[in-house]
Amino acid sequence: MIRLQDVTKVYDGGTVAVRDLSLDIQKGEFVFLVGPSGSGKSTVIRLLLREEPVTRGHIWVAGKDTTTLPSHKVPFLRRSVGTVFQDFKLLPNKTVAENVAFALEVLGRPKSAIGQQVTQVLQLVGLENKGDRYPRQLSGGEQQRVSIARAFVNRPPIMLADEPSGNLDPGTSVGIMRLLDRINRTGTTIVMATHDHAIVNAMRRRVVQLDEGLMLRDEPVGRYETAEVEA
Amino acid sequence: MSRFAYLLGETLQGMRRNVLVVVGAVLAVFVSLSLAFGALAFNQVVRVNTLAWQDGVHIIAFLNDPGASGVAPDAHERLTNDVQGWGEVERVRYVDKAGAWAEFQELFQDRPDILELGNQAQLPASLRIELTDIDLHDSVELRLAQEQQTVSRVSVASNAIQQISQITRVLNVVGIGLSLILGIAAVVLIANTIRLAIYARRDEISIMKLVGASNWFIRVPFILEGMIEGLFGAALAVFAVWVAARPLMGSVSQVEWFRITLSSGFFLRWGVLFVLFGAVAGILGSFLGLSRYLKETEGTTTGRETVPELV
Ligand SMILES: Nc1ncnc2c1ncn2[C@@H]1O[C@H](COP(=O)(O)OP(=O)(O)O)[C@@H](O)[C@H]1O
Ligand SMILES: [Mg+2]
Repeated sequence: MIRLQDVTKVYDGGTVAVRDLSLDIQKGEFVFLVGPSGSGKSTVIRLLLREEPVTRGHIWVAGKDTTTLPSHKVPFLRRSVGTVFQDFKLLPNKTVAENVAFALEVLGRPKSAIGQQVTQVLQLVGLENKGDRYPRQLSGGEQQRVSIARAFVNRPPIMLADEPSGNLDPGTSVGIMRLLDRINRTGTTIVMATHDHAIVNAMRRRVVQLDEGLMLRDEPVGRYETAEVEA
Repeated sequence: MSRFAYLLGETLQGMRRNVLVVVGAVLAVFVSLSLAFGALAFNQVVRVNTLAWQDGVHIIAFLNDPGASGVAPDAHERLTNDVQGWGEVERVRYVDKAGAWAEFQELFQDRPDILELGNQAQLPASLRIELTDIDLHDSVELRLAQEQQTVSRVSVASNAIQQISQITRVLNVVGIGLSLILGIAAVVLIANTIRLAIYARRDEISIMKLVGASNWFIRVPFILEGMIEGLFGAALAVFAVWVAARPLMGSVSQVEWFRITLSSGFFLRWGVLFVLFGAVAGILGSFLGLSRYLKETEGTTTGRETVPELV
C-alpha cells in the first residue's frame, strides 16, 4: 500500500531530514513512526502527501509513484489519503457537520450524497448529536474526532496522522486511539507519527523508529523505548 | 451545473467577506474604463463632424459627374493625377460617390429621416487635398478654379476645423495613453484584490488542498471574482458615459455645423466591447493575483506567515 525506496529528503536550508529510508507497509497495517522531535517524522508524512518533493528515491502510495506524479494529479493522490494533524485544522466559521461536508463539497460530490455520508461518519466518531456546534464549542478531543471524521468521510484506503494526540491529555488520547483502531479494523492502512510512549506501548503495533532521519529499528510488534529524550 | 452553482456561491460569499476591497477593484475598473469610454465617445463626436477633414485634409474639391456637360469619362482620374503633381500639394485622395455616400450615412446614422432624403446619386465625388503648407491654399484654389469644367465647388478648411482636428489628434494620443495606464492599474488592483481574497481564505484553501480538491476547483472562485469585478466596473463605466452624454445628444453647439451625435448603435457596439474588455481585464488580474499561489500549488499551506504585499 505504501512503499519507500531509498528516500532522502534535504530541505532548502541543507537540513537532511530523512536519510536513505526504505519501508514497506501492507494494506491494513497500523504503523507508528516514532522518534524525538526533529527526527523526521513529519517530513515522512509530508513526503507521502507530496507536500514536499523527495530529494532522492521513490515513494509509492496506493499503487502510484508519487515522486513522478505530475502536479495536476496530486489532488487525486490526496483523495486516497485521509490526514489528521495535531492542530485539527478545522474551519472556525463552519459547524461540525459543515466542516466534514466541506471535504466532500470540494470534491464536487452531489449534495444529496453528502448529507448521508456526513451523518454516518459523525456516528462513527460519536458526535452525531453535535453536528450543529461550532469547533470552539467542543473540547480538544471532540475537535480531533471531527478532524478524523473529515479525513475518513471519503473512505480513503490510507490515513496519515501526525501527532494526533499531541494537544490532548492522556485520557482523551486513549479515546482517539480507540477510534483510529476502529478505523484500522475496517481495513484502512494507518501511519501515525508520535512521540507518545504510553500510546505506542499500549497499542502493540508495528513501530518504525527514526533518529535524525535515519531508521533505527522496525519491529512488527514494537514498544517505544523509554530511554528517549524528547526535545 | 450544481457544481457551478456551488462555485458561484463560494465566490459571492468570499466577495461579501471583503466588500471594501471588492468595491475598490470595481471602482478602479470603473474610473479607468469611463475615462477611456468618454475619450472614445468624444472622439467619435469629433470624428463624425470632421469626417471629410480627417488626416490633415486642407482643401476639398467637389467634382462634376463624368458624362455631365463637358466632363470627359476619365476627367476625375486625369485631374487627380494633375493635382498630385502640383508643388503645393503634399497628398491627394480621391473619394468617389460611393465613398461620399458612406460618409453621409455615418454622419447621419442616428437620423433616419435625413438618410431617407439622400441617396448615392446626389452626392458628388471629391478630391481631398493635403497641402505642404496651409498658407498655399490661395494658389491651389486659383489653380482649381481653372478646372471649372470638372470642379464644381472648392471648400477650404476653416481655422476651427484645423484646430479641432489637431486637438483630437493630441487627445487621441493622450486618451489612449491614459486609458492604457489606467487599464493596467485596474488589472493590478484586481490582482491585489484576488491576492487579499486568497489570504483571507488561506485556511480553507489549505484544507481544500489537503482533502484533494482539484486545482481548478480552488482557482475558479477567484477567477470568477475577478471577472465579476471587471464586468461590473466596465458596465458602470458605459452606463455613466451614456448618462452623461444624454443631455448633450442631438443638441447643436454654438458652432452651427457641429452636431453632438452618438447613436445607440455606437453605445451598443462599443458598450458590449468594453464590458467584454472589463471581464477579460478581470480574468487577467485574477491570474496575476493567483500566479504566486499557482506556483506553490502542491503544498497545503498558503503563505500563512506572509501577508501579501500591496502592489
Ligand atoms: N520546511 C522546512 N524547511 C527546512 N527544514 C525543515 C523544514 N521542516 C522541517 N525541517 C527540519 O527537518 C528536520 C526534521 O523535521 P520534522 O520532520 O518536522 O521532524 P519531527 O516531525 O520528527 O519533529 C528538523 O531538523 C527540522 O528542523
Ligand atoms: Mg513533527
